[in-house]
Amino acid sequence: MAITGLGPHGERASAPERVLLLPEDMERARASGFRVAIVLHTLESDWAKQQLSGIVGTLGNCGVAVIDVIDCGFSPEVQIEALERLILEAPDAIISLPVANSKVAAAHSRVSAAGIKLVLLDNVPTGLLPGKDYISLVSADNFGLGKIAAEGLSPHLREGAEVGVLGYDADFFATNEREIAFVKWMQVNRPDVSLHVQRFPALSGVATTTRALAEAHSQLAGLFVVWDTPAMTAAQALETMGRKISMATVDLGQEATISLAANEPLVAIAAQQPFRQGESAASITVTALLGRLAPAWVALPGLAVTARNVVECFQTVWRMPAPHEVLRKLSLVGLKRSDRHPPRGS
Amino acid sequence: MPTTASMQTDGHPRRKGRPRVSETAAPSLVDILNLVRTEQATTRQEIERQSELGRAVVADRLGMLGELGLVDESELGTAAGGRAPRLVRFSADRGRILVATLDQTALGVGVADLAGSLLMEHHEATELAQPVSALAERLVTLFRWILERQSNPQLYGISISVPGAVSDGGEALFQRATPGVLPGWESFPLVETLVAAFDAPVWLRSSVETMTMGELHAGAGRNQRTMLLVKVGKRIGAGLASDGMLFRGAQGTVGLIGSVPVTMGDRTGTLEAMAGSDHIAQDGRLAAENGASPVLAELVRRGGDITALEVAQAAQVGDAAAIEILSQSGRLIGQVVATLANMLNPALIVLSGSIAQTNDILLASAREAIYGACHPLVSRDLQIIRSQMGSSSGLVGAAIVATEGLFAAPMLRDWIMSGLPQAHPLFQQMKHEIAQRKAIKGDNVRPPDV
Repeated sequence: MAITGLGPHGERASAPERVLLLPEDMERARASGFRVAIVLHTLESDWAKQQLSGIVGTLGNCGVAVIDVIDCGFSPEVQIEALERLILEAPDAIISLPVANSKVAAAHSRVSAAGIKLVLLDNVPTGLLPGKDYISLVSADNFGLGKIAAEGLSPHLREGAEVGVLGYDADFFATNEREIAFVKWMQVNRPDVSLHVQRFPALSGVATTTRALAEAHSQLAGLFVVWDTPAMTAAQALETMGRKISMATVDLGQEATISLAANEPLVAIAAQQPFRQGESAASITVTALLGRLAPAWVALPGLAVTARNVVECFQTVWRMPAPHEVLRKLSLVGLKRSDRHPPRGS
Repeated sequence: MPTTASMQTDGHPRRKGRPRVSETAAPSLVDILNLVRTEQATTRQEIERQSELGRAVVADRLGMLGELGLVDESELGTAAGGRAPRLVRFSADRGRILVATLDQTALGVGVADLAGSLLMEHHEATELAQPVSALAERLVTLFRWILERQSNPQLYGISISVPGAVSDGGEALFQRATPGVLPGWESFPLVETLVAAFDAPVWLRSSVETMTMGELHAGAGRNQRTMLLVKVGKRIGAGLASDGMLFRGAQGTVGLIGSVPVTMGDRTGTLEAMAGSDHIAQDGRLAAENGASPVLAELVRRGGDITALEVAQAAQVGDAAAIEILSQSGRLIGQVVATLANMLNPALIVLSGSIAQTNDILLASAREAIYGACHPLVSRDLQIIRSQMGSSSGLVGAAIVATEGLFAAPMLRDWIMSGLPQAHPLFQQMKHEIAQRKAIKGDNVRPPDV
């Protein structure tokens, strides 16, 4: 799938293949004994675990030692403190997912000023520039994810439907792009649909924001939420209100996958590929450490997931079998051979 | 001779006798605000010394500027023996400037504070060839989106970088009408639409001009007074900063070097046609077809398309034919830029644009040609580097264009007493004219709905 978005500074996307490591690159890296630290927004989510797994495995293949993995718990203060401490440790590179924009900008720019290669995941702090303050940004094609979600939700909306957009009230590259792309796709392709945008300030405020949105618009027939965790909270809030609304979101989390398999309330998911993203971040890091030019923005395409392809997409994204509940909902397990449906797609 | 706002708009000759307080206050407010804004003075004592105004006047004016929200005195400085002085700071957060870059294939929007620092930005692919009305509608939608994300959405101005020279005498305080920068712009009132939708003055500059300002204020040109920027992409253009200011020339069309004729072997053409990204892509396709470039030939075999970026990447991995294509472009650009350097004696030359940014070979051959053809006195301390700002230089530069426009003395003195640039008489007059035209022609300048 083509990348449809542009980078945080207007860059054209480079494909992950652009930083493919050849055996001789890995050999050179092994001989150099590089040390790398990783600073993530959280280590709790499946998404973060998959991404970390992709990074660490690829670095391991290149003989690069991961000397620290820090869980910032979404706290800018923790991230700033971690970066300050790591600068003193002087690793060859730091891979970081900035948890905020302006608050953590100075700490991130001090990393590159200290001569440490900085590779960013998903977000760029305010004012930081590729080539000067950081090597590359590795992210999903978030603009493409927003479009996929809109395309997936559209068939479930009748003519003239009202649709809610639940955005994230923080300046964050990934969620901004998804929200803009969703709204743009609807405005261009479904001008009959009325959009109502509201943004939640934090995960703790999702239920309140959802209720406010649903109360203000009693005819709401669809809802897009910028990622899966708040989407599931919103789904719960709507259920307690007795409202049945078709939903679309981004990321194939466990709960969201089960909901999608049941085809309610989630009817479409745009999935990221965190493992591949982790592999790409590690490849870029090694590319930069070997002194080669690295692209300013590497983007990975999203996957369009519906109930029809949720099992294979889950396996692609998470590299594990889909939850049993999903398989059961899709009648892929628990049935006698004679009761089985014909193969899907036939 | 440049005309100023007050000369054009007063309408009424000033009465003789004792001047009004507003007349006496405005010039000193302008002086003090600009001393504080440019950090030439950071304490009351420094302001008194540099402005040559008395303590009472400075105190009074700072009080007024504080009430307008344009300066802040809450912070204490470092004590030098006695009591620590209060620092006088420009309140850059007082307002916002919407900025945009229109390119052949992309649209960028952003928001900056009154110091020109970019706070948010977003870029998306677009086709400049689409009707201006559709472009304006998208611009308004994105501007509204970004403005509603601001905790302080008080808008002071809009500044847009466009892919063509904005022809004017360099004397206009802000854009009074939509210039014919591109085909179709004469028939659609882009500037007027933005004014009607956002109630703020608009500035337009060419993309090389905004990139030059961006590099000068936030990029490689920081602390430089004389800088030449050369943008290499589909089009090739140059921007000049002289004495820390953008040099716009007699008509505002400085730097159209892409149309300079150059010769390479038996071929002659314009610099753009002989060294721009279209030419690089074309030569790359040729090299793939005749087998001179194994890397590009392999790319075609796998169904890939060859653009200048693919040629640049092939050169980067050592493909001899691609290296020669990029080197040739670099040499031609270098020859033309060397002539400019000998004429203008810049301290710094920044190569920018998609090709210059992705390829070291083009930079190296341009450097070689420039250093080789420059007078020793010109090249002695001359730095030639690649831009480090990417597309953001256009947005940052657009913000700087607006801040310089807003706080230029001839503009500032006519709005400072009210605290908002919207109060400027020329802007009020422009809004009145737009409303009149709208009444006559119907909804031609109706702001697009979001």
